[in-house]
Amino acid sequence: MLKRFIDYARRFKGLESNQKAFKPSPYKWKQVDPKEKGKRQVLYGLCRACMQGDCATLVYLEDGIIVKTEGNPEAPPNYGSLCPRGKSELMGLYNPYRVKTPMVRANPEKGLDVDPMWKEVTWDEALDLVVERLKNVREKDPRGLVLCEGWGQRDTILRQPFGQAFGTPNEIGSHGALCTVHYPSGLVHAGYPVAIVDLEYCQYHITLGRSLGPNFATAPGTRKFARAIERGMKLVVVDPRSSYEASKGEWIPIRPGSDLAFLLGMAHVMLFEVQRYDVWFLKNRTNAPYLIGPDGDYCRDQKTGKPLMWEAIEDTAKPFDAEFEDIALTGTHTVNGVECRAGFDVVCDEFSKYTPEWAEGICTVPARTIRRIAKEFVEHARIGSTIEIDGFTFPFRPVSLNTERNVTNRRGGTYADLTGKIINMLVGNIEVPGGCLSCSFRGPIMGPDEDGTVKPAYEAVPRPFKYPPDHIGLAEFYPHQHTAPHIAIKSILDPEKYYLDYLIEAYISVGGNPIKMNAQPHAYVEGFKKIPFVVSVALHMDEPAILSDVLLPEHSALERFRVAAFYPQHQSIDDEVNGLKMIQLREPVPRLFNTKHADDIFTELAERLGILCGEGGLYDHLNNNIDWVDKTDGLNMNGEYKLDINRKYTLKEIVDRQIRGWPYSGGKGLKDLKEKGYIAHWKPRKEFYNYYYFPDDKTRHPFYFLGLKKVGDELRANLLEHNISFPGVDDMDYVFDLYRPVPHWVETPEFRAPEGFDLWAINWKTPYYSSDAGNVAGNPWLAELYSKDPYEAVICLNPVTAQRKNIKDGDMVIIESRYGKIEGRVRVSELFHPDAVGISGNYGLGTLQSNPLNRIGPNFNTLLSLDEKTFDGVSGGQDSAPRVKLYKKEVRK
Amino acid sequence: MRHAMVIDLSRCVGCGTCTVACRAEHGTPAGVSYNKVKKYEVGKYPTAKIKFLPILCMHCQDPACLKVCPTGATYKREDGIVLIDHDKCIGCRACVVACPYESRQFLWDIRNYYPGHVPTPYEVLKQKDFEKGTVVKCNFCLQRLEEGQLPACVVACPAQARYFGDLDDPESEVSRLIADYRGTPFREELGTQPSIYYVKG
Repeated sequence: MLKRFIDYARRFKGLESNQKAFKPSPYKWKQVDPKEKGKRQVLYGLCRACMQGDCATLVYLEDGIIVKTEGNPEAPPNYGSLCPRGKSELMGLYNPYRVKTPMVRANPEKGLDVDPMWKEVTWDEALDLVVERLKNVREKDPRGLVLCEGWGQRDTILRQPFGQAFGTPNEIGSHGALCTVHYPSGLVHAGYPVAIVDLEYCQYHITLGRSLGPNFATAPGTRKFARAIERGMKLVVVDPRSSYEASKGEWIPIRPGSDLAFLLGMAHVMLFEVQRYDVWFLKNRTNAPYLIGPDGDYCRDQKTGKPLMWEAIEDTAKPFDAEFEDIALTGTHTVNGVECRAGFDVVCDEFSKYTPEWAEGICTVPARTIRRIAKEFVEHARIGSTIEIDGFTFPFRPVSLNTERNVTNRRGGTYADLTGKIINMLVGNIEVPGGCLSCSFRGPIMGPDEDGTVKPAYEAVPRPFKYPPDHIGLAEFYPHQHTAPHIAIKSILDPEKYYLDYLIEAYISVGGNPIKMNAQPHAYVEGFKKIPFVVSVALHMDEPAILSDVLLPEHSALERFRVAAFYPQHQSIDDEVNGLKMIQLREPVPRLFNTKHADDIFTELAERLGILCGEGGLYDHLNNNIDWVDKTDGLNMNGEYKLDINRKYTLKEIVDRQIRGWPYSGGKGLKDLKEKGYIAHWKPRKEFYNYYYFPDDKTRHPFYFLGLKKVGDELRANLLEHNISFPGVDDMDYVFDLYRPVPHWVETPEFRAPEGFDLWAINWKTPYYSSDAGNVAGNPWLAELYSKDPYEAVICLNPVTAQRKNIKDGDMVIIESRYGKIEGRVRVSELFHPDAVGISGNYGLGTLQSNPLNRIGPNFNTLLSLDEKTFDGVSGGQDSAPRVKLYKKEVRK
Repeated sequence: MRHAMVIDLSRCVGCGTCTVACRAEHGTPAGVSYNKVKKYEVGKYPTAKIKFLPILCMHCQDPACLKVCPTGATYKREDGIVLIDHDKCIGCRACVVACPYESRQFLWDIRNYYPGHVPTPYEVLKQKDFEKGTVVKCNFCLQRLEEGQLPACVVACPAQARYFGDLDDPESEVSRLIADYRGTPFREELGTQPSIYYVKG
């Protein structure tokens, strides 16, 4: 402690501006520039009040002051509408709790409630200090730097190439551990981030653990939702809570954490009771007919090594790509002297166990309801029907079942999503009009691999094994993981246990807040204390900021110049945006404080570190990177517009080159974008459905998930070779049970909670808090809304449960999981399953110097587990529904 | 010409965008909302649902607030908009009590949204229009109507649940919606003849 203090004191010696301490209040706002008086101005904006961040806005200024943000009525995808967060963005700009100038900590002691004794410094001083430390880290081992990003800052294009140029593999997203929803769509659709419903055509939609938009008020999602409901789409919402969406459709209450049982039960009914599936699709567009050997691998042709299918007419096995008169979907045969079964049969064998009565015992949804839903789903699928779009004939399947984070975020969660995929494949609705579509790049991405099945993409591509691991989030052990800040923190705290042969020496936070966004926030606080040097590219005095050594203040969203490619949307799709290729501009409002654009910070840091230019430098990496989601349709450095890696550029120059090289800009640049605020290009509608690129039997979706098994087998072999156990889990089978090629029931550790833990805590996103973009929880306009909302920042309980526990509306209660304890005021509500304890949003925590609004309310994440045994071994997802006990808080008289 | 609004309750998802859009349009001080959404439950588990009821000034044609105003500060325009002349308002609050929709608020104080801090530049600019000790409410965004724009809440609503138009014109969208879906005002029995109609409740 003393040594560090001396170290700090030495650093401040001679700094000219070292006397001013951080005081959030009172704060004098910058005077209005007299030149701006009487001026009115409208800027093109691009909202950044949620993860999607694609609503086109108009930002109105009077006297140089921002007076309102409105949706741009001309521009997709919101066509003038907005959400409460987007309408509140200006209060996030005029936020006195923002970090307003570079600062350096003087107090070596760190904590959420410890005053860092900030000293204001100049930008040069701050940057030099950071660079001096980063240089040392880089010389020692570049892996020692963690670059943590998150929803607070999705407007940077240079963060990733900065990390690459620095040489660290440790770019970590702070947000994803409670949103591990990506692997199955990467495996089955070659898509990312999830699969969504086609709301233009869908007639029967089942949704679990997710939102179509209204629950957390995304403007485009809500628009599409309202239109679909109006035209009569039947909506079935399987959820422990009668959400906004459930209230517009049919609510099927379910016990928290048990969606896998419901899905297995539904698939069972479809396979064994309804027995009407899209046989053509299964035979021609899946690997369901592939013959599976006793080893679980495909039975292969001895000459070519190709997987075999059974030809029913000729009564023989043939490679999948041979001419078939009639492909056998079922059957057991002896091939090459071994007994093989059709993949379809192997799946059926497993699913035969999961009767709706069995499912009801676990998930509480009545067996008759599961039967009815399965039947209705198949009836609405119109199996065999087609639709013509732009002269191209597609299968037409106006049904979709979609799952997301509250289904997938627990041990066995990957299987829940994969079971959903099987349900969809049984009606043949993958990537066809009306059906279940991935929401990434539209184009020829579902091409077959050498086995004839869709080549996995995105997170379904396994990260290579290496021992000792390089990656602080242990991607080597969770090859299909999403972001893993929760694993990273464990490795940081106990590197030896996690096989790391290096230490984390520095940490840069860029809009990432792993403390607020994950299980066990206080574990992260300990991690932050352990890391020798922490820097925040900081917007406001949030948890990572107060634990930092240096604060590099950044612009708020409205102040950030930005040009972004419009991503296919995450909640749903319809004809308002399908086929749309667009780039959108945000013209920055005048900056209020001594802040910088995050990308200018990365440019400065890289230049001072000597990694901006030259081979392997930031520009070199930027030149060679391709947009992760939208690939060649994203904004990349293309052809003649690539950067000269030996000179420095301004951000605007770089972006101008990206626009000029964008395939749909027609050579236009930044100047042209300023005309309308966006450049839109509509592709033919048929090209929106990825079936178009590989129609008929040109590709096959995995129905029997051999890809999962193979990755598991390889990982197991690697662990055995190195004579190590899976980090944090001694029993290897506990992990590899999740890599079996056929989904099966997985009981999470929460099902075996000790007596007394009789309820399950659940959480959902709200219109006021969807993702931590721009500190929405601290926005006082939104706070006024959530403080009046009867279901916000309270503990929701079904009346029967409340009565059983002798608890009344308004009582203060303690909620205790095996991992943490919180308290709150009870709201008795019929909208909740009797086994659920409902806690919305992401309230609580905050810091000594943060907006006090950030300190209010129950912090749901405190109840969650950081124990690997509760994670999904494939995706690394944390369990979002822990078992809890709930009791009245004793009030001192 | 009679301005009116139709709110489609089957579309409303209770997100509160209207509340904030209104706040942003008018720059209302902390604690003042012209445009609210009430949330309530109907039914019992397992068929319970959450319902939403957006409430704003109903711009009644026989307004209870107008009748009780002693100074003539509250007045009704020919186009049906009910307004308050703040120069004439003496802050007696009779209208606040009289309004059956709780659509009026008395400005006891002009509060800022970041308590304990100096007002933001936005608030300094916008709060010039507010006078402590007077009553405030929705004006149907008259300042926007005069510029040919729709009210802020209508434009912003992501569910497109709000329609605005002329009730005197039988062919207008609002008239047709009211006719087609038998639109009714909230608490019609009070006889105040509101200009806000609800459909598909």
